[in-house]
Amino acid sequence: MINSERIVKIVLFLSSLLIILITAGMVLSLMNGSIPVFKEIGLRFIISSQWNPTEGSEEYGAMAFIAGTLMTSIIAIILCFPLAFSTSLFIGEYYKGTRIAKIVGTLVDMLAGIPSIVYGLWGFYVLRPLIVDLGLNAQGFGVFTAGVVLAIMIIPYATSISTEIIKMVSSDLKEAAYSLGATRREVILGVLIPNARSGIFTSFVLAFGRALGETMAVTMLIGNANIIPDSIFGAGNTMASVIANQFGEAEGLKLSALITIGLLLFVITGIINGIGKLIIKKFNS
Amino acid sequence: MPVVKHISGEGALKRRVVKNRLFAGSVIFFSMLTISPILLIVYKLVAKGYRQINIDFFTKKAPDTYEAMVAVGAGELIPGGILNGIVGTLYMVFIASLIAIPVGLLIGIFLYDQKSKRYAGVVRDIVDILQGVPSIVLGLIAYFWVVKNITNGFSALAGSTALAIMMMPLIIRSTEETLKMIPESIREAGFALGVPYHKIILRVLIPSGFSGLLTGILLAISRIIGETAPLMLTALGSMEVNFQIDKPTSAIPLLIWEFYNDPNMVDLIWSSSLLLMMMVLLLNLLSRQIIARRT
Amino acid sequence: MPLTSTIFKKSKMKTYTFILATALFLVSCGNSSTDSKSGKNKSATVDLTAAGATFPLPFYNVAIKNYTNTTRQSITYGGVGSGGGIRSLKDKVVDFGATDAFLNQEKESEMPAKIVHIPTCIGAVVIAYNIPGIEGLRLSNANLQDIFMGNITSWNDDRIKATNPGISLPDLAVTVVQRSDGSGTTYIFSDFMSKISTTWEKQVGRGKSLKWPVGIGAKGNPGVAGTIKMTEGAVGYIGSEFAFAQKIPFAEVENSAGNYVLPTLESISAAAQGEIPGDTKVMLTCSSDPEAYPISGFTWIILYKEQNYNNRSQKQAEETVKFLSWLIEKDAQALAQQVHYAPLPEPTVAQARAILGSVVFDGQALLN
Repeated sequence: MINSERIVKIVLFLSSLLIILITAGMVLSLMNGSIPVFKEIGLRFIISSQWNPTEGSEEYGAMAFIAGTLMTSIIAIILCFPLAFSTSLFIGEYYKGTRIAKIVGTLVDMLAGIPSIVYGLWGFYVLRPLIVDLGLNAQGFGVFTAGVVLAIMIIPYATSISTEIIKMVSSDLKEAAYSLGATRREVILGVLIPNARSGIFTSFVLAFGRALGETMAVTMLIGNANIIPDSIFGAGNTMASVIANQFGEAEGLKLSALITIGLLLFVITGIINGIGKLIIKKFNS
Repeated sequence: MPVVKHISGEGALKRRVVKNRLFAGSVIFFSMLTISPILLIVYKLVAKGYRQINIDFFTKKAPDTYEAMVAVGAGELIPGGILNGIVGTLYMVFIASLIAIPVGLLIGIFLYDQKSKRYAGVVRDIVDILQGVPSIVLGLIAYFWVVKNITNGFSALAGSTALAIMMMPLIIRSTEETLKMIPESIREAGFALGVPYHKIILRVLIPSGFSGLLTGILLAISRIIGETAPLMLTALGSMEVNFQIDKPTSAIPLLIWEFYNDPNMVDLIWSSSLLLMMMVLLLNLLSRQIIARRT
Repeated sequence: MPLTSTIFKKSKMKTYTFILATALFLVSCGNSSTDSKSGKNKSATVDLTAAGATFPLPFYNVAIKNYTNTTRQSITYGGVGSGGGIRSLKDKVVDFGATDAFLNQEKESEMPAKIVHIPTCIGAVVIAYNIPGIEGLRLSNANLQDIFMGNITSWNDDRIKATNPGISLPDLAVTVVQRSDGSGTTYIFSDFMSKISTTWEKQVGRGKSLKWPVGIGAKGNPGVAGTIKMTEGAVGYIGSEFAFAQKIPFAEVENSAGNYVLPTLESISAAAQGEIPGDTKVMLTCSSDPEAYPISGFTWIILYKEQNYNNRSQKQAEETVKFLSWLIEKDAQALAQQVHYAPLPEPTVAQARAILGSVVFDGQALLN
């Protein structure tokens, strides 16, 4: 019995090494590609918002894109939260097991299957005129437009896992609360959520990660201005979008700048996840 | 604790009931709001795409720009189909799944098994970071690792590699969270009965959490089935239907991108997107059936 | 496995599948189109892979399909962008690359071995616009400079009116649409702008992506075309095949002889009538020919002069050169015209032939 446990633990441990190897390999490859930038521009690259690809006076900086990425992703997660959370409750608690829950669940899952280019097109043809009509931006592009589409795109990620987790909360706990006279809302807020907190938060972390890395849809809606957006309705650019846009034609220092931006995205994702973990620690204590 | 406050008194009861109703109401409202974009998008796709869906669509390869131009000019349907894309997508998704599902499950189980250990925390953080990497960066990595060094050319394997890396964080984390929700008592009972650990995992934990695990896998597949950017740098695309892992191959999202960028074939993007969505729908229905059978 | 048989035995699963399949079948039957030629390609002994520019993609798309159907030789071309094409060739993962901007001496020396440039066709960049009710707009070089640098902000500006005496222009704001992604189209456009305007040359310059003084960025030709179509008062530059296919109005432009020309196959071809160097590495913008459309350019295919590298087989090299020599000749060039690219003029074809003739395998010429 102990032998089998040993073997299992070894196999599991080895598998964990694999993911570390992959990630480390990726970081190394990216660092390799970003050496030219650090040699020529140095750490200034991170805070500079200059982006001049003209030959002879090349100057690159990542700040404009960092700002754009954070702004769009934060807008996306803020907009997504009430929608995804409500939907998980709808499917996993209120209408659990019913046909309508299945239908709603399937519809939400379908959102995940739409290719991002289609989101971009839908945003371009449907959302953009709306933004123009609302007078928020003259051409309808901008951080907000991209954020709205991103929010829709990440809903299935936030919902799916949350729903499963909510479903799995033991009914004993809920029954106990009901028997004490709690209303449904009180049971949800007082018993269900605290119990499922970890899983729900994880799903939102995954959704946020998805938003940070989204390329196609954002690039078609954000206006592609390589500057720090002047307002949430202004045009800007994100890290993933600029990489996708410029990668096909880039070489030399510019290519290195793009690879460095990719590396920075890793770093930023790490920082944000770290902040999230601290928050959850605060919750638990 | 909120539940215990103000429980006594008529007024308090009324307040709680009202809050309860409001809460339920907003849950329903927001849920309906959530599904409205999907209905709008599906409507748009169907309206613009249904005409191009016919038997040819599934059985013929992509047309070229001239054929499309002639057809559009004559007001006819664009000939041909997306068979090369369909086959390519199925092929690469299959291979990516072969790589990502076992590895993802194993790592998810590892994280569950080791939950409070420091090393596991580090691994968990790494997995979460991996989730945020833009797909194009993964394509770049797969280009460096596979296209340059392994297959010495654009290939389906490179595409599958990029896709597999994209799938892993989703599978890993949803596996871990699902297993965490299984009551400890079940695991303990297994140990108490002297069941070897690997059997506990295979015969007790995985079946209990099957629904959650399958959801994670399904989510991961849905995620990659519509991805374009990584495939552009790895699988490149192809006009042919082929099953060679070391040669370039097409995929539906690649075709969509090609159609989008071609002045004459733009109309084909809607029907192709519709097909992708229907594939996700089919996967979804299939997995629901599988889960339903088990309960 | 017991699980699968349980699934398929249950009638609900059957019902769903049946309904879905029937729905698909009914929709399919309702819409049939004329049969397309779909010759299933038996794989030849080698497969060719290439990657690069998107500017000539429609032409390569048609040409390759045609070649594959007649010779059964399989070729894959990926439009990853000129930079991607150059990089892929550098990494030796493709048989040849395609680029809209030729590599100068410096860039050529960065390649691991000597490469040659083969021009394949001539494309044009048009100035597309969206002014309701206005057609036949004419823009002088000065107008273009002022518009794209943000000095003209309204369509009824006196300077535009002066160039278009017969047209009554509305009081509509000018919205410049530029390309946010790097592209050969941008390179040709900016090269032209640099030649007609020293201000542009100093402040913006030429390149595949630029620091634009004004304008909103759209992604790719379709992005720009789509934005122009949907924004009244918009003006931007797109590849000619896009404007033709999507029926977007474009402006007459002033060439070096002072004539206003529209981009037509004749005027685009005329741009190559001047002196072309032996290695064909030249920009065709602002050609001296009086009929020429000034915003035109070659697009090239690049490959290694010595084809025996990386364990390439002779057959692989032969098939590569065979395809390229077909691409520059009459049959393929006729296909280019069908999709609105101008064919290479005869002198350029001769030059291209000569360059291809210099491609060797182990020192031996591959073409006889």
